[in-house]
Amino acid sequence: MSTVLFAAAAASSSGSSNPILPATGEIIWSVLSFGLLLVLLGKWAYPPVKKMMADRADKIRGDLDAAELAKAEAQRTLEEYREQLAQARRDATHILDEARQTAEALRVDLLAKAEEDAATIRVRNEEALRIERQRVIAELRAEVGSLALELAEKIIDAEVDRAASQALIDSFISEIGS
Amino acid sequence: MLFAAINFPPISDVLNWRSILFGGTPFALNKVGLITLAATVITLLLFFYAGHQGKLVPRGVQNFVESIVDFIHNSIVVDVMGPEGLPWAPYLIGLFFFIFICNVFEVIPFIQMPATARMSVPAPLALMVWVTFIAVGIKSQGFGHYFKNAIIPPGVPGPLLVLLVPLEILSNFIVRPFALAVRLFGNLLAGHLLLLTFAVLSEAMFVKSIGLVVLPLPFAMLTALTGYEIFVSALQAFIFTILSALYISEAMKAAH
Repeated sequence: MSTVLFAAAAASSSGSSNPILPATGEIIWSVLSFGLLLVLLGKWAYPPVKKMMADRADKIRGDLDAAELAKAEAQRTLEEYREQLAQARRDATHILDEARQTAEALRVDLLAKAEEDAATIRVRNEEALRIERQRVIAELRAEVGSLALELAEKIIDAEVDRAASQALIDSFISEIGS
Repeated sequence: MLFAAINFPPISDVLNWRSILFGGTPFALNKVGLITLAATVITLLLFFYAGHQGKLVPRGVQNFVESIVDFIHNSIVVDVMGPEGLPWAPYLIGLFFFIFICNVFEVIPFIQMPATARMSVPAPLALMVWVTFIAVGIKSQGFGHYFKNAIIPPGVPGPLLVLLVPLEILSNFIVRPFALAVRLFGNLLAGHLLLLTFAVLSEAMFVKSIGLVVLPLPFAMLTALTGYEIFVSALQAFIFTILSALYISEAMKAAH
């Protein structure tokens, strides 16, 4: 193996030119190539790519801004709707409460009125009853008086017959009872 | 002898290429020259294609080109040079693509030669960067000011300057371009020879005896190293580009 390496080394040292040193033709062509590349790239090939990338960056930036705006707008609308919803809910609760209060007041009113009516009716009934009783009592008194008078007359007429008077009394009483 | 079949070619056989056109003249075009031309053409085609596809959502080639442009733009130009480095973006992007494609031909089948493994490619590139950053320094700070800033570190007492000024000259104006070129060249040359070594070993084993298939190490190494060299190609292109950006950026601002 060492002989092989030695042979390779010998070949390289005996080669026509040093591997480190550049060759004139290569230098000329590489300078020419790179010079050409720089000129054409700078003048003609790079600007469209750069412009496209810049345009895209602008577009993306614009789109992001627009999206941000749209998002803010949506957020605001959502807030508005939330607010409206809450307001509606508050209104509904309020209306319900009012209705409940009205109903309650109505109920209390009706109850009071009914009680009052009942009381009035009761009073009127009692009054009517009282008047009727007085009337009845007065009638009864008059009746009883006349009856007593009548009875007295009959007793006086038939004072002899105790038994007959007893029968008279009985008939009188039964007459009253009827 | 088991390894007699191993036939390492002379190193000049895998680095010095015969000229294809204009042989004998200074314009001799060989494999390395062709690769550099190919790097230029491929880069331009990639950009042309990407630029004319112009899709909003990039795919395929457009995506590939844009990712690299974006990467260089953000990680090199903006991070290293700041916003005032933006005019240098095409220069650095060209540098990166050119070096990367020259490098990556190291693993492209049937070509398998990194153009940057010849000093002819990294040296002019480094020289160009050297000239660029000095020119930028002179242009943005003025001749005397730039060299004064670059050579004399601030806040150093007089006697030390005797020691430091030569060091600063050495490091800023001599070592920089030299290191730039040698780093790229050395890495790619080493990679090229490493791949060659394992390829020759694998070939020798398979040819010598089928039984040697049980010795998979050289081939496994060859496979792994091929992947590694793709990584090195990108890494070295990145290092060359970011250092160029750094040098130019330092020259633009007062370095010290």
